[in-house]
Amino acid sequence: MEVQGLQMTEAKTAPGLFKRNPPIAGEAEAIERAKAGDAEAFSKLYALHKRRVYTLCLRMLGNVSEAEDMTQEAFLHLFRKIGSFRGESAFSTWLHRLTVNLVLMHLRKKGLQLVSLEETINPSEDDSPKRDFGSRDTQLAGSVDRVALERAVASLPPGYRMVFVLHDVEGFEHNEIAVMLECSTGNSKSQLHKARLKLRELLRQSESTSLADLKEAAL
Amino acid sequence: MTPKNSSSNPLSCAEFQEQLPDLFAAGGSDHIDDPSLLEHLRTCENCSALVRDLQYIADQAKQLLQPTHEPSDNVWKKIQESLSSDSSYVTESNEK
Repeated sequence: MEVQGLQMTEAKTAPGLFKRNPPIAGEAEAIERAKAGDAEAFSKLYALHKRRVYTLCLRMLGNVSEAEDMTQEAFLHLFRKIGSFRGESAFSTWLHRLTVNLVLMHLRKKGLQLVSLEETINPSEDDSPKRDFGSRDTQLAGSVDRVALERAVASLPPGYRMVFVLHDVEGFEHNEIAVMLECSTGNSKSQLHKARLKLRELLRQSESTSLADLKEAAL
Repeated sequence: MTPKNSSSNPLSCAEFQEQLPDLFAAGGSDHIDDPSLLEHLRTCENCSALVRDLQYIADQAKQLLQPTHEPSDNVWKKIQESLSSDSSYVTESNEK
C-alpha cells in the first residue's frame, strides 16, 4: 500500500515544534517495540496519539466519517513505515505531517485542487472577511473560550480553515504549508491573514449574541 | 519589516492593513521597525485594536493543539483487522 507523494522521510523540524510536541512518557519504548512488530506497542501508540490525529483530520475535513477513515489510514501508514522513523524530529510532528499529507491527497482525489488556493478554495463574497477601514469597532473582549474558538474555526471556509489549522494550531511554517498545499508562501500568509480576520468577525458576532442573551435573561 | 514609507507621508488604514500578513509572518507587532507602520499603529485606534485582536486569536489558537475529539472504537477495530490480514505491517520494519 504505497501512497504516491507521501513524504515519509523526516523533514527538518521547524524551531518550536519539539517544544510544542514534547515526547510522551512510554512513547520511545513503544516506538522501538513497534519497529520490531510488537502488536501491543502499536496499540499503545494508537492510544497515545489517536485523539490528536483524529482532531487534526476532523478540523481539516469537517466531517466525522471522513475523519475516521483518514485516522485509520494514517495509523496504517504509520505502522507500515515506522521503521523509517529515526527520531530526528518529534514523533508526533512526524505523524502529523504524515496525516496532513494523507488528508491533502484525499482532498485532491476528491477533486479539490489545492494548487492555487486563491482561485480554487477562496470563499464566496459572503464568506470573505470584511475589510476594517475607519470604523470604530469594539475590540474582542479578551475572554474568548476554547469552545467558541473551536466553533468559529469549524465554520471557516475550507481554504482558510486549512491554513489556520496548519499554521496557528499545528505550528507549521508558511514555507512548509506552501509545499504541502502547492502554493506560494505569500499565498499561505495571505490566506492565514484572511482566516484570522474572518475568525475575528465570527467571534465578535458570537460575543454580541452572548451579550444580548445575557441582557434578555436579566430582564 | 523594511521601511516602505517616510514618516512625513502618513499611511492610510488600507496601506497599513495591506502590510499585516507580512507583519504577522515576521513576528507580529513587537517586531515592527518601520517608523510609518509604528506611527500608524500608535495613532490609529481602529488598526491597533485590529492588530491586538489578530494577535490574540493567533495566541488562543495554540490552546486548540490539545485535542477534544475522540474517534469511535470502530476505527481501532478496522485497523486491527487490516493489521492482522496484512503481515507486511509487521515484517517491513524488520527488513532494514
